Amino acid sequence: MEIEVIKLIIASIICWINFVVVDTYFGLPKKPGVSGAEVIGKKIEKIGGNINGGYFMGNIVCSPDASAGTLMAAIFYYAMGFEGGLIAALLIFIGNRLCNDPGYAGTIGTITATILIYLCSGFIEPQYFIAGMVIAIFTIQGFHHAYASKLLGSIAKKMGRI
Amino acid sequence: MDIVILTIGTIMVIVGLRIFLTRSRALKLPYVCCLNFCMAALIVLYIKSPMGALTAVVYFISSTISSNAIAHTIGEMKKIEKTMK
Repeated sequence: MEIEVIKLIIASIICWINFVVVDTYFGLPKKPGVSGAEVIGKKIEKIGGNINGGYFMGNIVCSPDASAGTLMAAIFYYAMGFEGGLIAALLIFIGNRLCNDPGYAGTIGTITATILIYLCSGFIEPQYFIAGMVIAIFTIQGFHHAYASKLLGSIAKKMGRI
Repeated sequence: MDIVILTIGTIMVIVGLRIFLTRSRALKLPYVCCLNFCMAALIVLYIKSPMGALTAVVYFISSTISSNAIAHTIGEMKKIEKTMK
């Protein structure tokens, strides 16, 4: 039981770092991709959050970015193995194009997540990465919006991507 | 019960309740996004096959497009309200 909890925690930390770093690197906190993301960002700023973190969260809602890419990589790795991750990258790219997004963040995020899951495959099984990604997205989108946006804003500032 | 499914189910119930409790329409969308993640994960955990993974990705992308459309509509409505004043 304890070993399962440890695996779950490690998987969620890996997923969290993967999607936040890739999304921040590709400029999600910089500007809203569609007008809907701008509305969500402004609303989060109004309840006491950071505007750049708000844009980040709005962009995740409006387009399948590296967060979705990490989940899809875990799902396809679970069902089909390593090749599945590459199929997931293609499907995420199509999804990005449907949402008027260039699609770099989602595709690169899926590929890096597949490589990370492959490197951990001796110790952590892929289903822990599925649950880990759900926990990671819960900490950003479902726990406390104002605090999460401040954290994302400060990470973006540290990486120099605003 | 498996710890993976138990974790996802617990998060899903919490997020589902928070969708009902949140008043603002724009702030409901991040919770809905989190719910979609849980739903796609549960689909593939119950149907462990390539077809299950495909179903999950189709569900996830189509729900993201719906969220995109809803968020876009809220943004356009705000613009219309501004010009009407």
